[in-house]
Amino acid sequence: MLPNRSRTSVLVFLLPPLLLYCAAVLFPILQSLFLSFFSWNGISDMEFVGLANYVRMLTADDIFWRSFFNALIYLAICLVLQLGGALVVASLLTSLRRGRELIKTLYLLPAVISTVAIAFLFLRIYSIDPVGLLNQLLHWVGLGSFERAWLSDVNTVLAAVSAPEGWRFTGLYMLIIYAALIAVPKELEEAAVLDGASKWTLFTKIRFPYIRPVWITTTIMATTYGLRGFDIPYLMTNGGPGQSSELLTTYMYKTAFTSTDFGYASTISVFIVIECLVAVGLILFMLKRKAD
Amino acid sequence: MKKLLRAAALAAVAALALTACGGGGSTSDPANVSPTGEIKPREISWLLSRPADGAVINIMKKLADDYAKDHPGFALNLITTPDRPSYIQKLETLAAANKLPELFDTDATPFAQQLAKQGKMVDADKLLKSLDLYDDYRPGALDYQRFDDGSLFMIPFQFELEFIWYNKALLEKAGVSVPESLDDVPAMCTALRSAGISPIAIDGQDQWPLERYVAYQPFRAAGPDFVQKLKKGEAAFSDPAGQKTVQWMAELGKAKCFQDGFSAQGYSDAQNQFTSGQAAMYNIGTWELPSLATDKLNADVRDDIDFFTLPTTSGSVTAANEFVSPSGIGMAVNSKTYDPLVSDFLKFALEKYPAEYAATGALSPTTNVQTTVPANATPLYKKALETANTLGEKQAMPWDTQLDPTTNGRLQQELVLLVQGNITPEQFTKTMDDAIKQNAPKFFK
Repeated sequence: MLPNRSRTSVLVFLLPPLLLYCAAVLFPILQSLFLSFFSWNGISDMEFVGLANYVRMLTADDIFWRSFFNALIYLAICLVLQLGGALVVASLLTSLRRGRELIKTLYLLPAVISTVAIAFLFLRIYSIDPVGLLNQLLHWVGLGSFERAWLSDVNTVLAAVSAPEGWRFTGLYMLIIYAALIAVPKELEEAAVLDGASKWTLFTKIRFPYIRPVWITTTIMATTYGLRGFDIPYLMTNGGPGQSSELLTTYMYKTAFTSTDFGYASTISVFIVIECLVAVGLILFMLKRKAD
Repeated sequence: MKKLLRAAALAAVAALALTACGGGGSTSDPANVSPTGEIKPREISWLLSRPADGAVINIMKKLADDYAKDHPGFALNLITTPDRPSYIQKLETLAAANKLPELFDTDATPFAQQLAKQGKMVDADKLLKSLDLYDDYRPGALDYQRFDDGSLFMIPFQFELEFIWYNKALLEKAGVSVPESLDDVPAMCTALRSAGISPIAIDGQDQWPLERYVAYQPFRAAGPDFVQKLKKGEAAFSDPAGQKTVQWMAELGKAKCFQDGFSAQGYSDAQNQFTSGQAAMYNIGTWELPSLATDKLNADVRDDIDFFTLPTTSGSVTAANEFVSPSGIGMAVNSKTYDPLVSDFLKFALEKYPAEYAATGALSPTTNVQTTVPANATPLYKKALETANTLGEKQAMPWDTQLDPTTNGRLQQELVLLVQGNITPEQFTKTMDDAIKQNAPKFFK
C-alpha cells in the first residue's frame, strides 16, 4: 500500500492520460452511439429514426452480414499467422545459438514498413498479368494449374488480403513471445528434462503455462487489431471484387464517406465496438478457465 | 437545439477534416452574382481535385500571381487531392462542417445538387452571363456540368472527348476490324483472345472505367434520358434498354474482353498494357493525348495506334458523333464567401484562362480560342482535336456522376462480379434494381 501522499501524486499523474483517453476514444464512441439513432447525410437536417438503423443492419442488409463473416475469416487467418507463426518462430529462436538478433530484426522488418508500401508490394506479388512472384513460383514448382489472379478471384481474395496483414505483424508478436520464453527459469526446464520430459511435454507443461499471461495479452492485441483491420484490404481491393473482401471496417468507412450515410455508418461502428468487447471478453473467459 | 445536435454530431467527423479552410462572412443570395462594395484583397482557397502539376493548376497559379500584382494581399491557395474518392470524402466532410472554401470542385452529383438546393453555391449560369462569358463556352461543356433540372452551378475548366484507342497491328493479326456496332465487340474479343492478345486494357481498380461501359448500350438504345430515369427509379435494369446493357456486359465478360485480373489493376497498369502493345484496345479521353499522341509514346507501337469513337448499334437513337465528352470536374463558387473580391478575381481569371489553357495543347471549354498542337505531336493529335468540331448535341454522361453514391458503389461492385461471371445477369438485375429502389428516394426526393 502506498502512503497517502504518493497515492495522490499517482492519481495526479494518471489523470491527464485518462482525460486524453476519454476525449480521444470514449467521446467519439459515445458520439457514434448518439449518431446511430439518426439519419443524417452531413448536410441535411438530422432526423431521429430510433432503432431503425439497427433493424436495417441486423435484418435487411446483406452486405453487412457478408462483411461480418468476412471479418471473422480475416481475423482467423491473421491470428493463425500472427500468433501461431510467432510462437513457432520464437520457440525455434530460443534453441538457436547464433544469429538470433539478425533473425529477430529480419522478422520485425515488415512491421515498420508503411502499410501503403506493403499493399503495393503484395499487389505485385499476387499479379497475374504481368506475372507476379506467387504465380511465377507456382509455375516453377510445377503447380501451374494453381496460377490465378488471386485478387480478382472471389474464392481467394479474402485470404489474399489477410495474409499481408498476418505476415506483417508476425515479427512483432514473435518478439513479445520470445521475450517471455527466454524468461522461463532454466532450473524448471532442466528439472523437467531430468525427469524425462520430452520437448513437447516441456513446451506444453512448463513453457506455455509460464508465458500464459503474455499469451493472453498478445492474443487480445492481435484480435483487436485484426477486428479493426482496414488499410490493407482497402488499399488492395477496396473490398472487391463485389463484396468478397469487404470487412465491417471498410464497409463502415464507405457508408460514411462514400454514401454519406453518417447515421448508419455510426450504427455499424457501434457494432464493431461491441464486437471487440465481446471478443476480448471471450478470450479472457476461455484462457482464464483453462488456467484454473 | 438542432444547432447543438449538429455541432455535437460534427465532432465525430471533424477529426477527418484536416484542412481547415476559410469560412466566415455572411450568408448571401446564390442568385446575387454581382456583389457591390469595395474589393478587399485577401487569401482565398480553392479545394480541387486535379493533377498537382497539371495545366489547370499551373495556369490558375500564374493568373493568381498576375492578379495579386494589382491587388496586393491577394493570394490563391490551391489545395489539391487528385485521388477522386479521397477528394470526395474531404469535400463531403467539409460540407458537413459548413467549412467549404471560396471555390471547390465537384461533379454534378446528387450530393452537389443538395448543396445547390440549400443555396450554398453561386448560380453559375447567372455568374457567367453577368461576366459576359457565357456565350464563349461550348454548350456541351456547360451541359455536362448541369443538374437534371438544367440548372448550372459549376464552371468547367476542361473539355475532353473519350475515344476507344486501338492498335491496328494487333487487330490485323487477329483478323478483325474496327467494330461497326457495339454488339460486334464480344465477337471481336473472342477473335483477339484466340490470337493470344488481351482485347481491352482497363483500370479495374478505380472502378469508373468499367462503369463507362455499362452506360454505352443504354445511351445508344434509349438516349441520355435513360440514366436520368434509372437513378430515380423511373426506369430499371429490367427494362429493355437496361437488359441490353446487362446482357452485353455479361457477354464482354464471357468473351474475356478485359485483361486477366483486371479488377486489381490500376490506371498506369492498364495504360502500360496498351502502350507496350500487349492489349489491343484502351478506352480513355483526350487528357491522355500527351502520352498517346506525341513522341512520348513507345516508338514500337506509335505508328500502329489510332482511335475510333463509340460505335453505334442498330436502331440507335443517338448518332455516331455523340458519345462521352465530359468537361471534367467543375468548379463551384461558395455563396457564403462570395464577395466583390471573389467576383473580380473570377472575372479576371476566367477571361484569361482559355487562351492560356489552349496554348498547352488541351481543348478549352470555350470556343473562342484555338488549341495549339504541340511540336512533338503525332498526326493523331490533330485528328483528335478536330473531332471536337463535329460533335453532336447529345452526350453520354458517366454514370458515376449521376447515380446516388450508395447505388453507384453497389453498381461498381456488382459490375465486376457480372463481368467476371460470378453472378448471372438475372442476379445482377435484381440486386441493382433493389438497390436503386432502396437508395434513390433518399437523394431524389
